[in-house]
Amino acid sequence: MIKAILGKLGPWGPVFFGVGFLAPLIAQTIEKLDRMPPLGLTPVEAGLICGTLLGLAAKLRGRWL
Amino acid sequence: MNINATDKTLTGTPDFREMGEQELMRAEMTIARKYLGRFSWFMLVWWIANLTCWLALWPLTLTGMLPVWAAFPIATLNVILCYLPSHEAQHSNFAKNGRLRWLNELIGYTSTIPLVLPFKIARLTHMEHHTHTNDPELDPDYNVKADSWWHFVLNNIARRQPGRPNDYGRTLERLGNSATVNRAKLEGLAQTLAFWGILCALAWSGHAIEAAAIWWLPRYIGSIYISMMLSWAPHHPMTERGRYRNTRYFDATVGNILSMGMQYHIVHHLHPAIPLNWNGAAFREMRPILEARGCRMETF
Repeated sequence: MIKAILGKLGPWGPVFFGVGFLAPLIAQTIEKLDRMPPLGLTPVEAGLICGTLLGLAAKLRGRWL
Repeated sequence: MNINATDKTLTGTPDFREMGEQELMRAEMTIARKYLGRFSWFMLVWWIANLTCWLALWPLTLTGMLPVWAAFPIATLNVILCYLPSHEAQHSNFAKNGRLRWLNELIGYTSTIPLVLPFKIARLTHMEHHTHTNDPELDPDYNVKADSWWHFVLNNIARRQPGRPNDYGRTLERLGNSATVNRAKLEGLAQTLAFWGILCALAWSGHAIEAAAIWWLPRYIGSIYISMMLSWAPHHPMTERGRYRNTRYFDATVGNILSMGMQYHIVHHLHPAIPLNWNGAAFREMRPILEARGCRMETF
């Protein structure tokens, strides 16, 4: 059963990573650098958008770089 | 003919090239026995000092006592250094059995926390590496094969991209469904999930930069460096499989410390029960025997 769950969730790993880690990392980096995200977004919103998009792109392309 | 390789002052240096297989083996074993099975206090101190240092980075950084930019290189060094005490434990070099067995297993399990390398998986796959060194199908470390060190780095980065096959996973599948293998898989899953869970929890609680600088990035850089020094450099170009040809001595341009003693990895493959810190001494004594056997003495 564990194998089946991992088989289903595994391919979504980059998206989980994008939302779970990259999003707050981007948000906190924006705050640390004292920058304002565009379109009136908060740093967390900008982080979530960038992190999710990066994760989705990595999932679809099969590579981060 | 005198085959006591260590008694040069009384009898002169023996000509190992004239010796037969059995005499060479006896001479090699005479040297190896001096170092086999010793308890390595050096590796014990290495384990505890390195792990303590890495753990200390967390409170120091989270309380602002140590800047993140200073913690990052220290953490990277910690990750690079964390594998080798576990490697000794994988070979049960701290204690094969008896009352110190728990210490061997404790070192194995805790040493690689910064690297997030589950101990049982490391042990199983590493034993397969020793049994099938340089076998394209059966050596779990064969994927490090590359023409040069920078090719190795590029390949390594490419191998870490999403969806790429995991050679350690493939090895575990090949090893079947024994209780040991299933336990290793379960522990590996638990440790990997715990790592990502802790990393995300730290990130969402406002410590993403610290988590990236102390764990995520150092783990990435450290694992590439460890793999280069422990797997690629000693076995390059990975074309031969005999006991005396599958691993080489290499004159490391970065020195013995930066190559983490891997110049003498050939001694480890011949006699895994010799602790790392005596591989160099054993190699220097064995060198004429290894040369007589046609072992590879090369540069990085």
